[in-house]
Amino acid sequence: MGIRFNKVSHDYSSFSEGLYTAIKNIDLSITEKHEFIALVGQTGSGKSTLAKHMNALIFPTSGNLEIYGNIITSKRNRKISYNDIRRKVGLVFQFPEYQLFEETVEKDIMFGPLNFKMPVEKAKSLAKNALSLVGLDDGYLSRSPYNLSGGEKKRVSIAGILAMDPEILVLDEPTSGLDPAGKRVLMDLFKNINEQTGKTIVIITHDMDLVYEYFNRVLVMNKGNMVYDGEPESLFKQENLRDYHLDLPNTIKVLTHLNNKMQLKLNIFQRTNELALKEIERVIGL
Amino acid sequence: MKSVIIGQYIPGKGIFYKLDPRTKIVAVLLLMISIFLLENIYQLLIALGVALVMLVIGRIPVIKVIKGLKPIFILLIFTFVFQILLNKEGALLVEEDMFITEFGALAILVLFIFWRILTKVIRYRLLLFLGFLVGIFLILTKIQFENNLIEPFVFRVYEQGVRMSVFVVIRLLIIITLSTVLTLTTKPTDLTQGLERLMHPLKRIGFNSDDFALIISISLRYIPTIFDEANKIMLAQASRGADFSEGKLKDKLKQVIALLVPMFIIAFIRSEELANAMESRNFVPGNPRTRINELNFSYRDVFASTFSLIVLVLTIVLKVI
Repeated sequence: MGIRFNKVSHDYSSFSEGLYTAIKNIDLSITEKHEFIALVGQTGSGKSTLAKHMNALIFPTSGNLEIYGNIITSKRNRKISYNDIRRKVGLVFQFPEYQLFEETVEKDIMFGPLNFKMPVEKAKSLAKNALSLVGLDDGYLSRSPYNLSGGEKKRVSIAGILAMDPEILVLDEPTSGLDPAGKRVLMDLFKNINEQTGKTIVIITHDMDLVYEYFNRVLVMNKGNMVYDGEPESLFKQENLRDYHLDLPNTIKVLTHLNNKMQLKLNIFQRTNELALKEIERVIGL
Repeated sequence: MKSVIIGQYIPGKGIFYKLDPRTKIVAVLLLMISIFLLENIYQLLIALGVALVMLVIGRIPVIKVIKGLKPIFILLIFTFVFQILLNKEGALLVEEDMFITEFGALAILVLFIFWRILTKVIRYRLLLFLGFLVGIFLILTKIQFENNLIEPFVFRVYEQGVRMSVFVVIRLLIIITLSTVLTLTTKPTDLTQGLERLMHPLKRIGFNSDDFALIISISLRYIPTIFDEANKIMLAQASRGADFSEGKLKDKLKQVIALLVPMFIIAFIRSEELANAMESRNFVPGNPRTRINELNFSYRDVFASTFSLIVLVLTIVLKVI
């Protein structure tokens, strides 16, 4: 089941600029369990448009997609409960300002579960749970979401989706605007959720270090086309990486540089800084 | 939201793009005054023809404009119908007895269902709606039985009503065309600069045209942005199960709050950021500012203003005679 795109294109239209095709002929299949996928590409390449299709927020202009057995086409279908799809596929937007509106953090996180007709008591416990998952203590429950720092707002908005207990989680740049430690906390959280509950998680990011360290499947968007779908390692072996406005992870860059300057024979494909250090120590013989 | 054409600027190359915004504003004003002075149906029709010819001369994409004006047409139909029904002056034109019978009510219901189904299949909704109205009218007048549900009433149309409704609709059409030509071919910044220059003399009586123009240009600048933000907020809340097209009325009220609160907050954040950005570029309220592009009159402006003046003088002469 999960999500399947069949030749999906999406056009945006305006009077001044005419038609603009955000994504073209996308074929993509995401299974509902055990996937941990990074979605990368330069700004304006269609990543967010692709993500908004995944929970039927916007409809394809041509082609169709299948989400948990529901066929989504360019027209709204009365027989499909779009709310139900959105409970199953949770989408977190990039900017938390677009969704925070309640007086307290607790109420804001409960908004989703209550919309899906959960009893108030259960929603409350879900909110508490979700908040602790994103690394904020119970003291935050009664605070106003507008008096939080940027990073805290971001975590609250993620908690708002986690509380809905979606089966697939899609996050649009969840780590942007966070400090390096905060990034790792969140990425570890997503990885944990993925490993413990088997939920499929799709994350849009620009950080190639994170991509290499955490993910086993990468989707690359370039000018509305999906140009790569596979392992990160073979992506970094491709020559035309720069054409996609992508960069190599720091570990690969440093190890390649060492190989060139010092005529070493390091294996440059090391996913984390620690592994890279070990590799250097192994070759130099410390 | 991008499908509504009113107030939008579309880059292009026709003659209206080259006119000075001051000329365009004054000309549109003069022409509008003339339209209200005209009292003869033939003169109005000629004026409508002239307005349409202007669209063609200005190389404005007429079909695109008509498509964008769809919501306005609904407004036009309403004004037309109300004028016809409510104006009771002049000679009587139509007098029909209306009967509301059980059979008639049933027929209307069937017609209604038929119309709703057809709108799903066929694309010309406006035509269908008109057909639906005509159908109701026919049922009410033609089907006559003994068992009336309520007393029959008389449907009357008077000469003045028809006259006025045709007048209002044509006038509105011309005014909409003129103002669309103005906004379609003038950049918002040029428009406000034109307004500012035109209102400059008012400074003597204490009206600050600079500030006024700045306020207008900032508001115009932020209309599309706010629409954009509203759209994003709606999507973000829909992701949390607040779909604005599903659910009961009570849920919908709650969803409106979920839309409005972030809207206000974002508007405040934006305005604060804008104020900071303007100040850091050394904007001081009240101080005189220079422009990169000064406005200049050309022979085209002389032509356009003469044309609109002649039209105005002509209408006044026609009225006096």
